[in-house]
Amino acid sequence: MKDRTLKYLLVLPAVLVVFLTTIWPLIESLRLSFTVGRLNKPGSLEQYIGWENYTWAFFYEPAFWNSVGVTAIYTILTVALTTLFALGLALLLVPGGRFRSGVQTLLILPFAMSPALIGVSFRFMFNPEFGLFDAMFGVVIPPLAEVSWLADPVLAFAVCVMADVWGWIPFLTLVLIGGLASVPRDTIEAAQIDGASGWRVFKDITLPQLAPVLAVVVILKSIFSLKTFDQIFMLTNGGPGTATQTLSHYIYFNGMKYGQIGYAASVAWLMVIPMIFLTYLYARYVFRKD
Amino acid sequence: MSANAKPFYNLLQIALILFATFVMLVPIFWIFLAAFKNHIDVFQLKLLFKPTIDNFFTVFEQPYNLGDKLINSSIVAFVTVLLAIPIATMAAYSFSRFRLVGETAMLVTILATQFVPAVVIILPFFVMFRDIGLLDTRIGLILVNLAIVMPFAIWMIKGFIDGIPIDTEEAAMVDGSSRVQVIRNIVLPMAAPGLLTAGIFCFIIAWNEFLFALILTNRDAVTLPIGLALFKAEEGDLWNLLSAAGIIIMLPMFVLALLIRKYFVQGMTMGAVR
Amino acid sequence: MASVTLKNLTKRWGDFIGVDNQSLEIADREFLVLLGPSGCGKTTTMRMIAGLEEPTEGEIWIDEKMVNQALPKDRDVAMVFQNYGLYPHMSVFNNIAYPLKVRGIAKDEIQPRVERAAAQVELAEFLERKPKELSGGQRQRVALARAIVRTPKVFLMDEPLSNLDAKLRVSMRAELKHLSRELKITTVYVTHDQIEAMTLADRVAVMRDGVIQQLGTPDDIYNNPQNLFVAGFIGSPAMNLVNGFIREGAFFTANGKQLVKVDAPNLEGVTLGVRADDIKVGESGKGGVEATVYAFENTGENTLVTVQLGDQRVIVRGDRHLRKEQDDLVSITLDPEHLHLFDPASGNKLGENFGVSVA
Repeated sequence: MKDRTLKYLLVLPAVLVVFLTTIWPLIESLRLSFTVGRLNKPGSLEQYIGWENYTWAFFYEPAFWNSVGVTAIYTILTVALTTLFALGLALLLVPGGRFRSGVQTLLILPFAMSPALIGVSFRFMFNPEFGLFDAMFGVVIPPLAEVSWLADPVLAFAVCVMADVWGWIPFLTLVLIGGLASVPRDTIEAAQIDGASGWRVFKDITLPQLAPVLAVVVILKSIFSLKTFDQIFMLTNGGPGTATQTLSHYIYFNGMKYGQIGYAASVAWLMVIPMIFLTYLYARYVFRKD
Repeated sequence: MSANAKPFYNLLQIALILFATFVMLVPIFWIFLAAFKNHIDVFQLKLLFKPTIDNFFTVFEQPYNLGDKLINSSIVAFVTVLLAIPIATMAAYSFSRFRLVGETAMLVTILATQFVPAVVIILPFFVMFRDIGLLDTRIGLILVNLAIVMPFAIWMIKGFIDGIPIDTEEAAMVDGSSRVQVIRNIVLPMAAPGLLTAGIFCFIIAWNEFLFALILTNRDAVTLPIGLALFKAEEGDLWNLLSAAGIIIMLPMFVLALLIRKYFVQGMTMGAVR
Repeated sequence: MASVTLKNLTKRWGDFIGVDNQSLEIADREFLVLLGPSGCGKTTTMRMIAGLEEPTEGEIWIDEKMVNQALPKDRDVAMVFQNYGLYPHMSVFNNIAYPLKVRGIAKDEIQPRVERAAAQVELAEFLERKPKELSGGQRQRVALARAIVRTPKVFLMDEPLSNLDAKLRVSMRAELKHLSRELKITTVYVTHDQIEAMTLADRVAVMRDGVIQQLGTPDDIYNNPQNLFVAGFIGSPAMNLVNGFIREGAFFTANGKQLVKVDAPNLEGVTLGVRADDIKVGESGKGGVEATVYAFENTGENTLVTVQLGDQRVIVRGDRHLRKEQDDLVSITLDPEHLHLFDPASGNKLGENFGVSVA
């Protein structure tokens, strides 16, 4: 068979899978968002109500805006903190040598924990009676010893952020180590000889050259933070109340627990919009030619 | 900073690294300890206790039946990989070696599907599975997991094939092989390590998959991560059992992750970071 | 005043010795070349002077001050890297200005100094460009400008020409020489290219395996190599080294063919060194040593004839109009004024030890 035909045949199964498993559901989801969409009301999945679901979310549903706010603050905090800590850790580990490589390998371990598992672990660690981290915090900051972390909206949120940052530091650190290692040593040595002190070398020479990798890291982590579900579900299940209810959780709750698939689909599609933007940014880095 | 301050800075660095390592590993270590504690000790902050391995057996008994979930997870992950890798390899080869109409569009789409939030596509899946009876089945789970791993698989394998010099294939074709023979006899063996790595990566993803399993399963096809949610009792969560179950989920992942650690960054960033 | 002195300088990594207890004095304004094959320790030595590597033992003195403890930025040296080390995200202007900026020099002083440095390397029109828009030769000149924009005590250059193509290398060499004469700053220059060493240096230190084999002016090195390594390293084509023995005032090849008369005592196991230019080739039977042509090369500017002497070969430079075929018989005559004798075992030059003079 000629290459001309073969090459399309080769990609066909993959394209089919992607289409059936992602494209179609996306379209169907969009369709559902325009329907009444009650799981327990047969026929409602074909009852079209136009933009009602969207306007409801936008204008009448404080819970929606709550989850938007939660997600936004969550994303900003986790991206900033994780990037900062990962950069610091990467700078510490990049010189190499046996000790540091050993630590790098150990970093794989937290990486292999799924977000759900991390959620469970942190729920365990912050239990007010026997949680390890609860005890540790209580020792370092005595006022915190009497606190019930997961019962307080702000503290529960903090724990969620902590768990997220903890889980993603290893991955971001490894990426940044790779990025730092790819900065040509010449440019750093030239700056040292030119007279720059350690901090200046970092600010003027290393950081600008690290910028593309940093950008990738920030975009990727933002996407992951926006999507976050597993961890929140296992840690706080959106609570207390709706203090930690991210958008994904909100969608899940409305769609599966309340059976409002139509409404949930509309919120889900609202969520897709920032995703498209971030994906576009990311794609530019994946497809760049250098 | 003068050269004389160097030893101090070195010490500070090491102290910071040790602190960071401690923070990163303590939760894992703590869970590990908890798995060996009995149901009284686990509610206390003890470092020294009498260890027991009972938990690891209890989780497999009624009503937890971790064994069933372990089997489900294994089958789902395994079959997903078995299906995903060949499909991905064919596509990856084509993208790597040929110019196709709409190639960039296809690649961008494949890339983009990684970023679609699972909650967006789960809703139609739920409805569809409910209608055709795929709810709470392993087959259903395999299908949705295929959706998740496919972009990673295609991208990773394409990366590997890109790295294989094209000379050997061209030489073989000049010698008389057909394209299909070349793929089978030359490319596949050379790409085998890459395929294995991609397979392991996808296995890890499928094994840890949570949302789909949560929504699409109920009783029969429940996987390990969801099984974690079952360890609730009236007094509270049964942390010792939970920890034991957690270890069972984590351990294979540790091993696999260590195996492919060189390619993790490449895989997760889809080549945006070289 | 910026002399550079190395005292017992050693660099070790585990068992591997990169620089082995070397001492060297470089005078103010001297252009010193560290010459040798890769791995000989020349770059390591220079990096230790710069402060980019710490010596395992020994001292480094710049301008009468010991600088072992000083950071590179405090040593007041400037360096040109092999791969230029330009800052890719900065314009050419900012690249050159960086050493001044970092020292807190005012902007209105930076401007003229950068422009002058750029003019000296003929880069004035490129100041707004980024390095990636420049050719190799232009990037090289940016690196040079960045080095000369301050007036450091010492220039360090690490194989600056080796990434340029052959033609560019020749022209840049001339520019470098011109510039170094103009600026009159002590320079340490590392290269593996002996032509660069010969043309640029006031003195050359030939290095091998971490040890300086010979230190001297280019003339010294060329005309009076102290050991086999230096003899074979300098000069193109390389000096002919023929193994044999001396008996009764004449040198014989190992196969017993008499080559030339020497004023030296009988000695078994001697290596004779003679350059291709110091051998004349003529028609067979006209006196001299008979030999068969192994290969004939015409380079355009002259000819190179490789002749077989028993089981050794010798290369001879001939006039550019000479024409010979493979297997032709020719006779060669060695110039007795330009012979060198070496001990094959130690590699050292014979003559000083033996009171032997070569007539």
